[in-house]
Amino acid sequence: MDDILREITEATRCLEMERVPTLVTHALAQAADPLRVLDALSAGMMAVGELFARGTYYLVDLVVAGEIMKEALAVLQPHMAVGSMGPKGTVVLGTVKGDVHDIGKNLVAHMLRGCGFHVLDLGVDVAPERFVGALRTSGAAAVGLSVLLTPMVRSVAETVSAIEEAGLRERVRIAIGGACTTPELGRRLGVDAVGRDPVEAVRIFESFLSS
Amino acid sequence: MSGSHERVLAALERREPPDRVPVFDVMEEYATIYEILGRRPLPMGFLFTNRRTKAVIDRTAGIIDRTGLFFAEMDRFAYDRTEAAVRMGYDAAWVMHVPIWHFRDSRVAVDIYGRQYDVIVDGRGNLATPMYTKGLIATPEDWRAWDKRDIFRLPERANRVFLRIQKDFGERIFILPGFLFGLFENTWQPMGFERFAVALRRNKDFIRRVIAFYRDHFCLMLEAWADAGVPGAVYTDDMAYRSGPMLAPSLLEELYGDALRRITQTAHGLGLKIVVHSCGNVMPLLPWFADCGFDGVHALEPTAGVDLAEAKQLVGDRLCLVGNIDITHILVDASREEVFEAVRTSIEAAGRGGGYMVAPTNSHHAISLQRLRWMLEAVERYGHYPLGGPGHRKAEPGPRVAPAG
Repeated sequence: MDDILREITEATRCLEMERVPTLVTHALAQAADPLRVLDALSAGMMAVGELFARGTYYLVDLVVAGEIMKEALAVLQPHMAVGSMGPKGTVVLGTVKGDVHDIGKNLVAHMLRGCGFHVLDLGVDVAPERFVGALRTSGAAAVGLSVLLTPMVRSVAETVSAIEEAGLRERVRIAIGGACTTPELGRRLGVDAVGRDPVEAVRIFESFLSS
Repeated sequence: MSGSHERVLAALERREPPDRVPVFDVMEEYATIYEILGRRPLPMGFLFTNRRTKAVIDRTAGIIDRTGLFFAEMDRFAYDRTEAAVRMGYDAAWVMHVPIWHFRDSRVAVDIYGRQYDVIVDGRGNLATPMYTKGLIATPEDWRAWDKRDIFRLPERANRVFLRIQKDFGERIFILPGFLFGLFENTWQPMGFERFAVALRRNKDFIRRVIAFYRDHFCLMLEAWADAGVPGAVYTDDMAYRSGPMLAPSLLEELYGDALRRITQTAHGLGLKIVVHSCGNVMPLLPWFADCGFDGVHALEPTAGVDLAEAKQLVGDRLCLVGNIDITHILVDASREEVFEAVRTSIEAAGRGGGYMVAPTNSHHAISLQRLRWMLEAVERYGHYPLGGPGHRKAEPGPRVAPAG
């Protein structure tokens, strides 16, 4: 059994698109614990993240890894007990109001799911009140705001204010990411972290939800 | 040959310009352009948001589109933005001419290549650059079926528009036409990045076919611009994002290298200088841009991690560096001192010996006209050769002026 789990990790790391879902199917057919299969996939995704951080893999490779995870999770999900996906906690994600870019946000969502988080992806052009509503109903302790364009930075500020006004700021940690974000902007907006890329986003949310 | 032309040509040939560092214009926003011209633009944005006119557009967008009104507005805008660049005193202007959008209704536009966009209004009643939402070409069959007639018409239209622009402004400013989009963006955006990433693994031949089509199209555009008499061109193609290239440089070379070399050879054969524009952290791509034969590279975003001094050291003898003035803070809401300091440090990093043009890294509607003017003033202060003279000390921009606009 361990052999096939190692193969899943390795095939994910090597971005073998056709092979990973097949291996997941084989593992489940051999009565593998779905949670261990998920761990094997997550280990592969973490390895992809490391290769990206080292400059071996590029953005397009993260997208392929995300597609692999999507297909593998579609095979795995029916075998998982309700609530067992996303053991590391829940993250609310969305692109802020007025901005409809979703590549970066989707990549973060794929990477987080692949690394064991439950992701509530609100999509693009998300109004502050929708972020607040999702944080309230899910009880999530972390939110990621994606923004590409400088003119939409005001929507990030409005969302941060809405979270504060809703009385959620004490328990919710906020990260932002996207082309126009900088550490200086993060300080000005009073958020907890600024992510440069999807791999750093995983590290940020791991630190948010482990503390 | 005007002073501007001499400056820009010298910079593009990595020679020291006769007097000062040239300034390169990338303005593409209605509000800024018409504020400079002191005219009111056609209130396109207002028409798209006012309840009554919006309802009319929703019902009749197809009919309005067939009248050619939207494309004619893009022709007019290219002319007006060049006039605005001349009035501001820029040496070179990257003049985007983009008659590519068909409006389906007041909210959605589709371009001639197969992208869908949300219509964006800038809050001052002007249309801003539409926001890409998704691709409409999912398969090779979609690509074959796509109506390409507007793509075929584009070179003729560009030739007509730039004949007039060059005739009226070409003596005073170095004009570099551009259009949307380059080969990389025109292969991935019409299908979406996820589909493109999968197609790279499952159907690379399809991607190669699309690249060959747009390579030939770009070469025709170069012919059309050269025939209009302009001296340069910009190849616009975002190949990087803030952490680096979107594809491995080796894969970019495999897919796009020969096509880009054909494009630059065509440009040079026609007597045109050609500058590549890419947003993002292009540091790992700079040697490749030089290998592909480009004369210059624009954007060089500091917020994406581009270090101008390092870029100068890496490719300063092979590429003219253009840009590096930040548009997330410096040209949006920075103080006069900060703008002067940004210009001074950029010139110090890349201006020695020539081969650098000061420019914003891009254009968007939050950029302040006042700060663009400060940028130009700062070039007058710090950009005269020989660099490092008495005026080139750490920023002391004279009387403080309260941030405006």
